[in-house]
Amino acid sequence: MTNNILMRLNGVTRTYHMGEVTVNALGETSLDIYQGEIVVILGPSGSGKSTLLNIMGGMDLPTAGDVFFDNDNLGLANDNQLTRYRRNEIGFVFQFYNLIPDLTARENVELAADLVDEPLSVTEVLSDVGLADRMDHFPSQMSGGEQQRVSIARAAVKNPRLLLCDEPTGALDYQTGILILALLVKINRARGSTVVIVTHNTPIGDMAHRVIRMRDGLIAEIRENASPLPPERIEW
Amino acid sequence: MGALYKKLWRTIGKTKGQFIAVAAVVTMGIAVYIGMTTAYFNLNESKDQFYREHNFADYYFHVVKAPQQVTKQIEAIPGVTGVTGRIQKDVTLVNEHNKRATARLTSYTLPMEQEINSLQLLTGRFFAAEGAAARPGEQHTRTGDIEILVDPQYAAANDLDFNDIVTIVAEGKTIPLTMVGTATGPEFIYLMKDAATLLPDPTSFGIITVSRERAQQLLNLSGQVNQVLVTLAPGTDEEKVAQQVKSILEPYGNLAAYPRKQQLSNAMLEGELDGLRAAARFMPAIFLGIAAAIQFVILRRMVRAQRLQIGVMKAIGYNSRQVILHYTSYSVLVALCGAGLGTLLGLALAAIMSQAYAMYFNLPATIGAVNNQAILYGFLLSLGVSILAGLTACRSITAISPAEAMRPEPPKGGGKTLVENLSWLWHRLDTAWKMSIRSASRNRGRFAITIVGVVFAVGMLVVSLFTIDAVDYMVESHFHQNQRYDYLVRFAAPVKENAILNITRLEGIQKSEPLMEIPAKIKFNGHSEDDAITGMSPQATLKRLFDHRQQPAQVPEEGLLINQRTANKLGAKVGDMVEVETLLGIGPARHSPVKIVGINMQLVGGGSFVSLEQANRMLQERQLASGVMLKVDPAFAAQIEEDLEEMTGVSSISSRQKDLDNFNQNMDAMIYSISILVFFALLLGFAIVYNSAVISFSERQRELASLRVLGFSVKEVSGILLKENLLQSVLGVALGLPFGYLMAKGYMNAVSTDLFTLPVTIYPTTYIYAALGGFFFILVAHLLGVRGVRQLNLVEVLKNKD
Ligand SMILES: Nc1ncnc2c1ncn2[C@@H]1O[C@H](COP(=O)(O)OP(=O)(O)OP(=O)(O)O)[C@@H](O)[C@H]1O
Ligand SMILES: [Mg+2]
Repeated sequence: MTNNILMRLNGVTRTYHMGEVTVNALGETSLDIYQGEIVVILGPSGSGKSTLLNIMGGMDLPTAGDVFFDNDNLGLANDNQLTRYRRNEIGFVFQFYNLIPDLTARENVELAADLVDEPLSVTEVLSDVGLADRMDHFPSQMSGGEQQRVSIARAAVKNPRLLLCDEPTGALDYQTGILILALLVKINRARGSTVVIVTHNTPIGDMAHRVIRMRDGLIAEIRENASPLPPERIEW
Repeated sequence: MGALYKKLWRTIGKTKGQFIAVAAVVTMGIAVYIGMTTAYFNLNESKDQFYREHNFADYYFHVVKAPQQVTKQIEAIPGVTGVTGRIQKDVTLVNEHNKRATARLTSYTLPMEQEINSLQLLTGRFFAAEGAAARPGEQHTRTGDIEILVDPQYAAANDLDFNDIVTIVAEGKTIPLTMVGTATGPEFIYLMKDAATLLPDPTSFGIITVSRERAQQLLNLSGQVNQVLVTLAPGTDEEKVAQQVKSILEPYGNLAAYPRKQQLSNAMLEGELDGLRAAARFMPAIFLGIAAAIQFVILRRMVRAQRLQIGVMKAIGYNSRQVILHYTSYSVLVALCGAGLGTLLGLALAAIMSQAYAMYFNLPATIGAVNNQAILYGFLLSLGVSILAGLTACRSITAISPAEAMRPEPPKGGGKTLVENLSWLWHRLDTAWKMSIRSASRNRGRFAITIVGVVFAVGMLVVSLFTIDAVDYMVESHFHQNQRYDYLVRFAAPVKENAILNITRLEGIQKSEPLMEIPAKIKFNGHSEDDAITGMSPQATLKRLFDHRQQPAQVPEEGLLINQRTANKLGAKVGDMVEVETLLGIGPARHSPVKIVGINMQLVGGGSFVSLEQANRMLQERQLASGVMLKVDPAFAAQIEEDLEEMTGVSSISSRQKDLDNFNQNMDAMIYSISILVFFALLLGFAIVYNSAVISFSERQRELASLRVLGFSVKEVSGILLKENLLQSVLGVALGLPFGYLMAKGYMNAVSTDLFTLPVTIYPTTYIYAALGGFFFILVAHLLGVRGVRQLNLVEVLKNKD
């Protein structure tokens, strides 16, 4: 693992206003993400994990603070710049897969591949996640684990530098969850993509190079993991 | 963009019912637009071309008789570019089996090119002028024959061919004429005898054209003309020139003077064109407007339902523009399908309409051009409207941030509905009604759009069916209420009342009432209007008159029962004194002051009334009658008709039954176009209700599935949807009926002319049929829209997040 910084968050906050009430979803947060590492963000529900991940992924703008990616400050980016950033640098994996129901597995992956100049091969990526023979099935014909694999393929096909996963195993059983995590590690190894995984499942932290614990919208602890476990050996 | 295109196709496949329904509405809109615009354009172009090539006159002057050199004087008036003096006179035609018809004998000087209102030869050859033999190579007629051309419709209706003999009665003599061909002219495009005629009837009225020399011989007018036609330079002050011409013609007995726009054929044609233009704008606007509304509803619903998908697309890296483009493509495809099919259908419609027009209008060169501009506009219009609807519906896409989309949509301000505030009512409603009302108020926009659509569809039903009412009303009032006589016999020249005894004595005549018809000018306050004044006995029963409130009106012993249109134009009202100038054409013009004592209204044509005695006084005559109305015993009708045909003094016999038959024959085309309109209206209503039903069904699948899980039956669940549907439909139908009345009124305003107005009379049954039609399309649309309830897969629906 090199120590090149891929992303630097500096004094980032995010507040929501809902009428009279103001919610501090994210307190002042500073954090560096290194190239090629696997980061797991842990924390109880409502602690701001998704908020942080969304800001990192250019899905949401911070209320204050800087988000540097390649010397570009996403905190100041406009809609076009954010779109370009998401398009070229980011792969997203969601808890509920969020596949397009009207598109087959292959087409869901093509949807992402269409966006970049040099995507990976759609069939190869789908084979990598073990869906070589399910490519022409619609999401409604697949199990949750299979759908999540399509979702990972969709994120990976753009060969992004940063793979952001929000509760990727949240809706899956243990066995399937392990399989998904293994796929993420595989992509991290093979392509050198940085992987950030949000979860409230503490044991998953064992597979990360670094574990970030959040509480009440703040980073409570950052722990380095000298020897990450392969997902197959994690138990919960 | 490959995958997005596939998504688009799948979406269309899934919503194909809706897609087809909107595309059908666009198709109809474009078809109507292209069909009517093309027909309008072609008809107008044919007309203009015909007018241009044949020197259509700008002004007409009728005199008793004037020397033909008078045209030289008129030529000298500044602004006048051409003058033609001619003879035109209605003469009696005696057909086979002695049947009478009227021929408008019209004279021309050869060579034709220089004539105003010159003739276009259709078949055969031009008549020879007097003495001029047929040129070498031409077919010869019998030497010394008087050669004529006949209008093509009369020729067709009476099976006339080259060399056939047509017999007329002119100046008391029976004269055979030899037909050498058919021809038409710019003033004969729509052939009606006069404004009081309902419809053209080529069996009883035709045009006979002949050389001027021959006409002068036939009518004992040697060296004379009785009409002067002029053309004017562009920008000339028409009325000023008309005054000058009238003063030149003054010594010869001015009978009438009118500009081109009052020329009957032109006025009828322009009236048709105006109606067509109005419809060509109005109808497509309705269809495209509603199509746009439906597309808006479909897409807004789609964008809402696919909020999460939109979020994902954005998270992956699609920008708002691409996503909007994706959804708007749906409506663009609707527009393209609709415009493509609509163009084909429109061209077919244009062809059908042109054919129908060719039947009614005598236009030699009917232009059948494909109007590329209309097609282009059709595409632009449908695309524009659809894109606008699409973009409006997709506006919210820009606002959906991907992070936001991942969270459930916040519920909209859940205020109480209006009905909920009426607690006494609310508590009496069952749960199904409550659900329906809540759902309607949750989707106010869609609810309103659906209602508007139903209102238009039902309104259109009312308008289409109203046409039948209007005709029925016209037939009823014209043929049954106003005309009580079986025959109206007119004489070649006014006769003494006792001469009518010949007729009255015929066996089977139950009643006879004389009348005296006098063409006249009515003058008031410096204005003058041409009108026909009919004198008849105040006790007459064979013709009934009505005032503007449709109350019976009686011919006064003393004073004038003036025609409403004439009164309006003159600005005269009951109690005013007007001056009447008689223009009988025989004997001098007489002037007499008459007091207006009442107003009468006629659906078709004009006409003012006085007592028979007063009519005679106006002419300074006694006991003259120009015609007689007869009521006959049906058993003797045929014999009476035959006897009348034999009488030489009789110029025309109009039979109510024959007019009625002619009228009914002409209704076929109308029934055809009404059926099309009704079909369009039903389809329009269906499309909008169907879409609304499909959308409200898919929006509430989960809720309905839950009800099914709770133990509701399919019937009960569809019942809930039906109630919601009925809520908007009943409202739509209820509002659609009065709206239809307004539309009918607007339409009548657009098409009514100087010569022709109809009160907007809509029979109650029409409303009932329109309402039934409304409920019919609503029910069909509903049943098709919610047929999914039966297949509602409980597991699927409850598992998926849309
Ligand atoms: N759009 C929003 N509007 C209002 N409040 C919000 C919004 N998004 C997040 N929040 C609030 O911000 C806080 C942090 O939310 P966030 O989604 O980041 O939590 P999380 O750690 O991901 O929780 P979970 O594990 O349940 O997913 C919560 O209190 C949440 O209610
Ligand atoms: Mg979360």
